[in-house]
Amino acid sequence: MRTLPALCLLLVGIAAQAETPQRIGETYAAEAAGRQAGFTPSAQRGETLFRQRFGNNDKMPACTSCHTDSPLSAGQHVVTGKAIRPLAVAANGQRFSDPAKVEKWFGRNCKEVMARDCTPAEKADFVAYMNEVR
Amino acid sequence: MQKILVWDWPVRLGHWLMVGGFIVAWLTSESETFRLLHVISGATVLAVAAFRLPWGFIGSRYARFVDFVRGPRAVKDYAAGLLKLEPAHHVGHNPAGGWAIVLLLGLGILTGLSGWANYNDIGGGFLEEVHEGLAVTMLAVVAIHVAGVLTGSLMHGENLVRAMLNGRKQGTPEDAIRSARPLAAALLLAWVVAAGWWIAT
Repeated sequence: MRTLPALCLLLVGIAAQAETPQRIGETYAAEAAGRQAGFTPSAQRGETLFRQRFGNNDKMPACTSCHTDSPLSAGQHVVTGKAIRPLAVAANGQRFSDPAKVEKWFGRNCKEVMARDCTPAEKADFVAYMNEVR
Repeated sequence: MQKILVWDWPVRLGHWLMVGGFIVAWLTSESETFRLLHVISGATVLAVAAFRLPWGFIGSRYARFVDFVRGPRAVKDYAAGLLKLEPAHHVGHNPAGGWAIVLLLGLGILTGLSGWANYNDIGGGFLEEVHEGLAVTMLAVVAIHVAGVLTGSLMHGENLVRAMLNGRKQGTPEDAIRSARPLAAALLLAWVVAAGWWIAT
Protein backbone atom coordinates (compact mmCIF):
# COMPACT_ATOMS: atom_id res chain seq x y z
CA MET A 1 0.00 0.00 0.00
CA ARG A 2 2.92 2.32 0.59
CA THR A 3 3.83 1.96 -3.05
CA LEU A 4 0.69 3.82 -4.13
CA PRO A 5 1.74 7.31 -2.95
CA ALA A 6 5.18 6.69 -4.40
CA LEU A 7 3.63 5.77 -7.73
CA CYS A 8 1.50 8.92 -7.66
CA LEU A 9 4.59 11.02 -7.00
CA LEU A 10 6.34 9.36 -9.90
CA LEU A 11 3.42 10.09 -12.23
CA VAL A 12 3.32 13.72 -11.08
CA GLY A 13 7.06 13.84 -11.69
CA ILE A 14 6.66 12.56 -15.23
CA ALA A 15 3.85 15.04 -15.91
CA ALA A 16 5.98 17.84 -14.48
CA GLN A 17 8.54 17.26 -17.22
CA ALA A 18 6.24 19.09 -19.60
CA GLU A 19 8.06 22.21 -20.77
CA THR A 20 7.13 25.49 -22.35
CA PRO A 21 8.20 26.33 -25.92
CA GLN A 22 10.26 29.20 -24.49
CA ARG A 23 12.23 26.89 -22.22
CA ILE A 24 12.82 24.38 -24.98
CA GLY A 25 14.02 27.19 -27.25
CA GLU A 26 16.31 28.49 -24.49
CA THR A 27 17.85 25.07 -24.02
CA TYR A 28 18.76 24.85 -27.72
CA ALA A 29 19.96 28.48 -27.69
CA ALA A 30 22.23 27.79 -24.71
CA GLU A 31 23.63 24.75 -26.48
CA ALA A 32 24.23 26.82 -29.63
CA ALA A 33 25.88 29.62 -27.63
CA GLY A 34 28.27 27.03 -26.23
CA ARG A 35 29.52 26.37 -29.77
CA GLN A 36 29.28 29.87 -31.13
CA ALA A 37 29.78 32.75 -28.69
CA GLY A 38 27.12 35.45 -28.77
CA PHE A 39 24.49 33.29 -30.50
CA THR A 40 20.94 34.57 -30.23
CA PRO A 41 18.01 32.76 -31.82
CA SER A 42 16.38 34.35 -34.84
CA ALA A 43 12.80 33.66 -35.89
CA GLN A 44 13.70 35.01 -39.32
CA ARG A 45 16.47 32.47 -39.82
CA GLY A 46 14.01 29.87 -38.52
CA GLU A 47 11.53 30.82 -41.22
CA THR A 48 14.23 30.64 -43.91
CA LEU A 49 15.10 27.14 -42.74
CA PHE A 50 11.41 26.19 -42.71
CA ARG A 51 11.01 27.30 -46.34
CA GLN A 52 14.36 26.11 -47.69
CA ARG A 53 14.27 23.38 -50.32
CA PHE A 54 16.85 20.67 -49.84
CA GLY A 55 17.36 18.43 -52.82
CA ASN A 56 17.70 15.23 -50.83
CA ASN A 57 14.27 13.70 -50.80
CA ASP A 58 12.00 13.84 -53.84
CA LYS A 59 8.87 13.32 -51.79
CA MET A 60 9.86 15.70 -48.99
CA PRO A 61 12.17 18.38 -50.36
CA ALA A 62 11.29 20.87 -47.60
CA CYS A 63 9.54 21.19 -44.25
CA THR A 64 6.68 22.80 -46.19
CA SER A 65 6.12 19.59 -48.17
CA CYS A 66 4.08 18.23 -45.28
CA HIS A 67 3.61 21.23 -43.01
CA THR A 68 2.34 23.57 -45.80
CA ASP A 69 3.60 27.11 -46.44
CA SER A 70 1.96 28.31 -43.24
CA PRO A 71 2.92 26.81 -39.88
CA LEU A 72 -0.44 28.06 -38.63
CA SER A 73 -2.29 25.65 -40.90
CA ALA A 74 -2.80 21.95 -40.44
CA GLY A 75 -0.49 19.91 -42.65
CA GLN A 76 -0.81 16.67 -44.56
CA HIS A 77 1.72 13.86 -44.73
CA VAL A 78 2.81 13.59 -48.39
CA VAL A 79 3.19 9.82 -48.21
CA THR A 80 0.31 8.69 -46.01
CA GLY A 81 -2.10 11.60 -46.45
CA LYS A 82 -2.55 11.73 -42.68
CA ALA A 83 -3.43 15.08 -41.12
CA ILE A 84 -0.65 16.86 -39.18
CA ARG A 85 -1.58 19.42 -36.55
CA PRO A 86 -0.14 22.93 -37.01
CA LEU A 87 3.49 23.52 -36.01
CA ALA A 88 2.99 27.08 -34.76
CA VAL A 89 2.44 27.42 -31.03
CA ALA A 90 -0.20 30.09 -31.71
CA ALA A 91 -2.30 27.51 -33.57
CA ASN A 92 -1.44 24.44 -31.51
CA GLY A 93 -0.70 24.89 -27.81
CA GLN A 94 0.75 21.38 -27.52
CA ARG A 95 3.69 22.07 -29.82
CA PHE A 96 7.17 22.25 -28.25
CA SER A 97 5.97 21.19 -24.80
CA ASP A 98 7.63 17.77 -24.62
CA PRO A 99 11.44 17.86 -25.03
CA ALA A 100 11.68 14.17 -25.92
CA LYS A 101 9.07 14.52 -28.64
CA VAL A 102 10.75 17.65 -30.05
CA GLU A 103 14.10 15.83 -30.20
CA LYS A 104 12.49 12.79 -31.79
CA TRP A 105 10.95 14.77 -34.64
CA PHE A 106 13.97 17.03 -35.22
CA GLY A 107 16.04 13.85 -35.29
CA ARG A 108 13.83 12.10 -37.83
CA ASN A 109 12.84 14.96 -40.05
CA CYS A 110 16.20 16.73 -40.30
CA LYS A 111 17.81 13.46 -41.33
CA GLU A 112 15.15 12.70 -43.88
CA VAL A 113 14.69 16.15 -45.42
CA MET A 114 18.19 17.62 -45.02
CA ALA A 115 20.14 14.34 -44.97
CA ARG A 116 21.94 15.44 -41.81
CA ASP A 117 21.22 16.33 -38.20
CA CYS A 118 20.07 19.86 -37.43
CA THR A 119 22.51 21.93 -35.38
CA PRO A 120 21.42 23.33 -32.00
CA ALA A 121 21.45 26.79 -33.62
CA GLU A 122 19.04 25.66 -36.35
CA LYS A 123 16.76 24.10 -33.76
CA ALA A 124 16.81 27.27 -31.63
CA ASP A 125 15.95 29.40 -34.69
CA PHE A 126 13.21 27.01 -35.76
CA VAL A 127 11.60 26.94 -32.31
CA ALA A 128 11.83 30.77 -32.16
CA TYR A 129 9.97 31.03 -35.47
CA MET A 130 7.25 28.58 -34.42
CA ASN A 131 6.91 30.45 -31.15
CA GLU A 132 6.55 33.87 -32.73
CA VAL A 133 4.66 33.31 -35.95
CA ARG A 134 1.14 34.69 -35.82
CA MET B 1 14.13 -42.30 -40.16
CA GLN B 2 13.27 -40.53 -43.35
CA LYS B 3 12.04 -37.12 -44.41
CA ILE B 4 8.32 -36.68 -43.97
CA LEU B 5 5.97 -33.74 -44.48
CA VAL B 6 5.53 -31.94 -41.15
CA TRP B 7 4.84 -28.23 -41.80
CA ASP B 8 1.78 -27.35 -43.83
CA TRP B 9 1.78 -24.46 -46.32
CA PRO B 10 0.03 -21.91 -44.08
CA VAL B 11 2.69 -22.47 -41.38
CA ARG B 12 5.56 -22.06 -43.85
CA LEU B 13 4.11 -19.17 -45.83
CA GLY B 14 3.02 -17.44 -42.62
CA HIS B 15 6.46 -17.91 -41.10
CA TRP B 16 8.32 -16.30 -44.00
CA LEU B 17 5.75 -13.52 -44.40
CA MET B 18 6.29 -12.74 -40.74
CA VAL B 19 10.07 -12.78 -41.18
CA GLY B 20 9.90 -10.43 -44.15
CA GLY B 21 7.31 -8.20 -42.51
CA PHE B 22 9.31 -7.89 -39.30
CA ILE B 23 12.59 -7.10 -41.08
CA VAL B 24 11.02 -4.46 -43.33
CA ALA B 25 9.06 -2.93 -40.45
CA TRP B 26 12.21 -2.78 -38.34
CA LEU B 27 14.27 -1.13 -41.09
CA THR B 28 11.59 1.45 -41.90
CA SER B 29 10.65 2.24 -38.30
CA GLU B 30 12.31 5.68 -38.17
CA SER B 31 11.38 6.81 -41.66
CA GLU B 32 8.56 9.05 -42.82
CA THR B 33 9.45 8.51 -46.49
CA PHE B 34 8.79 4.80 -46.01
CA ARG B 35 5.96 5.21 -43.48
CA LEU B 36 3.43 3.41 -45.69
CA LEU B 37 5.82 0.52 -46.23
CA HIS B 38 6.29 0.33 -42.46
CA VAL B 39 2.53 0.21 -41.91
CA ILE B 40 2.00 -2.44 -44.60
CA SER B 41 4.83 -4.65 -43.34
CA GLY B 42 3.60 -4.29 -39.75
CA ALA B 43 0.09 -5.12 -40.90
CA THR B 44 1.50 -8.25 -42.56
CA VAL B 45 2.98 -9.42 -39.25
CA LEU B 46 -0.27 -8.66 -37.45
CA ALA B 47 -2.42 -10.39 -40.08
CA VAL B 48 -0.25 -13.53 -40.15
CA ALA B 49 -0.23 -13.77 -36.34
CA ALA B 50 -4.00 -13.28 -36.20
CA PHE B 51 -4.47 -16.02 -38.83
CA ARG B 52 -2.15 -18.34 -36.91
CA LEU B 53 -4.37 -18.33 -33.79
CA PRO B 54 -7.35 -20.21 -35.32
CA TRP B 55 -4.89 -22.22 -37.43
CA GLY B 56 -3.43 -23.42 -34.13
CA PHE B 57 -6.74 -25.21 -33.55
CA ILE B 58 -7.89 -26.28 -37.01
CA GLY B 59 -4.53 -26.59 -38.81
CA SER B 60 -2.66 -29.79 -39.53
CA ARG B 61 -1.25 -31.88 -36.69
CA TYR B 62 2.02 -30.07 -35.98
CA ALA B 63 0.50 -26.61 -36.48
CA ARG B 64 -1.84 -27.11 -33.53
CA PHE B 65 -1.05 -25.53 -30.17
CA VAL B 66 -1.88 -28.82 -28.38
CA ASP B 67 1.00 -30.40 -30.29
CA PHE B 68 3.71 -28.02 -29.08
CA VAL B 69 2.62 -25.86 -26.13
CA ARG B 70 4.08 -27.64 -23.12
CA GLY B 71 4.47 -26.82 -19.43
CA PRO B 72 7.63 -25.38 -17.82
CA ARG B 73 8.75 -28.84 -16.84
CA ALA B 74 8.92 -30.06 -20.44
CA VAL B 75 10.87 -26.94 -21.37
CA LYS B 76 13.30 -27.56 -18.49
CA ASP B 77 13.79 -31.19 -19.49
CA TYR B 78 14.43 -30.19 -23.09
CA ALA B 79 16.90 -27.49 -22.02
CA ALA B 80 18.67 -30.01 -19.77
CA GLY B 81 18.95 -32.37 -22.76
CA LEU B 82 20.41 -29.51 -24.82
CA LEU B 83 23.05 -28.86 -22.15
CA LYS B 84 24.02 -32.54 -22.16
CA LEU B 85 24.32 -32.19 -25.94
CA GLU B 86 21.68 -34.86 -26.47
CA PRO B 87 18.36 -33.04 -26.90
CA ALA B 88 15.25 -35.14 -27.46
CA HIS B 89 14.13 -35.04 -31.09
CA HIS B 90 10.60 -33.82 -31.74
CA VAL B 91 8.88 -34.34 -35.07
CA GLY B 92 7.09 -31.00 -34.65
CA HIS B 93 8.28 -28.09 -32.50
CA ASN B 94 10.37 -28.82 -29.42
CA PRO B 95 9.01 -27.40 -26.11
CA ALA B 96 11.38 -24.41 -26.13
CA GLY B 97 10.59 -23.57 -29.72
CA GLY B 98 6.90 -23.86 -28.91
CA TRP B 99 7.18 -21.05 -26.40
CA ALA B 100 9.13 -18.89 -28.82
CA ILE B 101 6.21 -19.25 -31.23
CA VAL B 102 3.62 -18.32 -28.61
CA LEU B 103 5.68 -15.28 -27.57
CA LEU B 104 6.32 -14.16 -31.14
CA LEU B 105 2.65 -14.48 -32.07
CA GLY B 106 1.61 -12.53 -28.97
CA LEU B 107 4.24 -9.85 -29.52
CA GLY B 108 3.41 -9.67 -33.23
CA ILE B 109 -0.23 -9.03 -32.41
CA LEU B 110 0.45 -6.49 -29.62
CA THR B 111 3.10 -4.63 -31.62
CA GLY B 112 0.80 -4.54 -34.63
CA LEU B 113 -2.23 -3.34 -32.66
CA SER B 114 -0.25 -0.61 -30.86
CA GLY B 115 1.23 0.47 -34.20
CA TRP B 116 -2.24 0.61 -35.73
CA ALA B 117 -3.41 2.78 -32.81
CA ASN B 118 -0.41 5.12 -33.23
CA TYR B 119 -1.07 5.40 -36.96
CA ASN B 120 -4.62 6.46 -36.18
CA ASP B 121 -3.58 8.91 -33.46
CA ILE B 122 -5.05 6.88 -30.62
CA GLY B 123 -3.16 6.61 -27.34
CA GLY B 124 -0.64 9.45 -27.63
CA GLY B 125 3.07 9.44 -26.82
CA PHE B 126 2.82 6.72 -24.20
CA LEU B 127 1.54 4.18 -26.71
CA GLU B 128 4.37 5.11 -29.08
CA GLU B 129 6.82 4.09 -26.35
CA VAL B 130 4.84 0.87 -25.78
CA HIS B 131 5.00 0.11 -29.53
CA GLU B 132 8.77 0.57 -29.60
CA GLY B 133 9.24 -1.45 -26.40
CA LEU B 134 7.20 -4.33 -27.80
CA ALA B 135 9.15 -4.28 -31.08
CA VAL B 136 12.49 -4.37 -29.24
CA THR B 137 11.22 -7.26 -27.08
CA MET B 138 10.13 -9.05 -30.23
CA LEU B 139 13.59 -8.58 -31.77
CA ALA B 140 15.11 -10.13 -28.62
CA VAL B 141 12.79 -13.16 -28.87
CA VAL B 142 13.62 -13.43 -32.60
CA ALA B 143 17.32 -13.55 -31.69
CA ILE B 144 16.71 -16.33 -29.12
CA HIS B 145 14.50 -18.17 -31.63
CA VAL B 146 17.16 -18.00 -34.36
CA ALA B 147 19.87 -19.09 -31.90
CA GLY B 148 17.65 -22.02 -30.87
CA VAL B 149 17.02 -22.98 -34.50
CA LEU B 150 20.75 -22.96 -35.30
CA THR B 151 21.60 -24.93 -32.14
CA GLY B 152 18.80 -27.43 -32.80
CA SER B 153 19.88 -27.82 -36.45
CA LEU B 154 23.46 -28.59 -35.44
CA MET B 155 22.57 -30.99 -32.64
CA HIS B 156 19.99 -32.96 -34.60
CA GLY B 157 21.96 -32.79 -37.83
CA GLU B 158 18.77 -31.51 -39.43
CA ASN B 159 18.52 -28.22 -41.33
CA LEU B 160 15.52 -26.62 -39.65
CA VAL B 161 15.60 -23.54 -41.90
CA ARG B 162 15.23 -25.77 -44.95
CA ALA B 163 12.49 -27.68 -43.12
CA MET B 164 10.55 -24.41 -42.78
CA LEU B 165 10.91 -24.00 -46.57
CA ASN B 166 10.08 -27.49 -47.87
CA GLY B 167 8.09 -28.61 -44.84
CA ARG B 168 10.03 -31.86 -44.43
CA LYS B 169 11.64 -33.16 -41.26
CA GLN B 170 12.95 -36.48 -39.98
CA GLY B 171 10.27 -38.89 -38.90
CA THR B 172 8.47 -42.12 -39.63
CA PRO B 173 5.94 -42.23 -42.49
CA GLU B 174 2.93 -42.73 -40.22
CA ASP B 175 3.71 -39.42 -38.47
CA ALA B 176 3.54 -37.38 -41.69
CA ILE B 177 0.69 -34.95 -42.30
CA ARG B 178 -1.47 -35.96 -45.22
CA SER B 179 -1.98 -32.60 -46.89
CA ALA B 180 0.09 -29.42 -47.08
CA ARG B 181 -3.23 -27.47 -47.11
CA PRO B 182 -2.46 -25.22 -50.09
CA LEU B 183 -6.00 -23.78 -50.18
CA ALA B 184 -5.65 -22.46 -46.64
CA ALA B 185 -2.35 -20.87 -47.66
CA ALA B 186 -4.10 -19.10 -50.52
CA LEU B 187 -6.68 -17.89 -48.01
CA LEU B 188 -3.87 -16.67 -45.73
CA LEU B 189 -2.33 -14.73 -48.60
CA ALA B 190 -5.67 -13.13 -49.49
CA TRP B 191 -6.25 -12.26 -45.83
CA VAL B 192 -2.82 -10.63 -45.50
CA VAL B 193 -3.33 -8.56 -48.66
CA ALA B 194 -6.80 -7.49 -47.50
CA ALA B 195 -5.61 -6.60 -43.99
CA GLY B 196 -2.59 -4.70 -45.31
CA TRP B 197 -4.73 -2.73 -47.74
CA TRP B 198 -7.40 -1.99 -45.13
CA ILE B 199 -4.93 -0.89 -42.43
CA ALA B 200 -2.84 1.27 -44.75
CA THR B 201 -5.76 3.17 -46.28
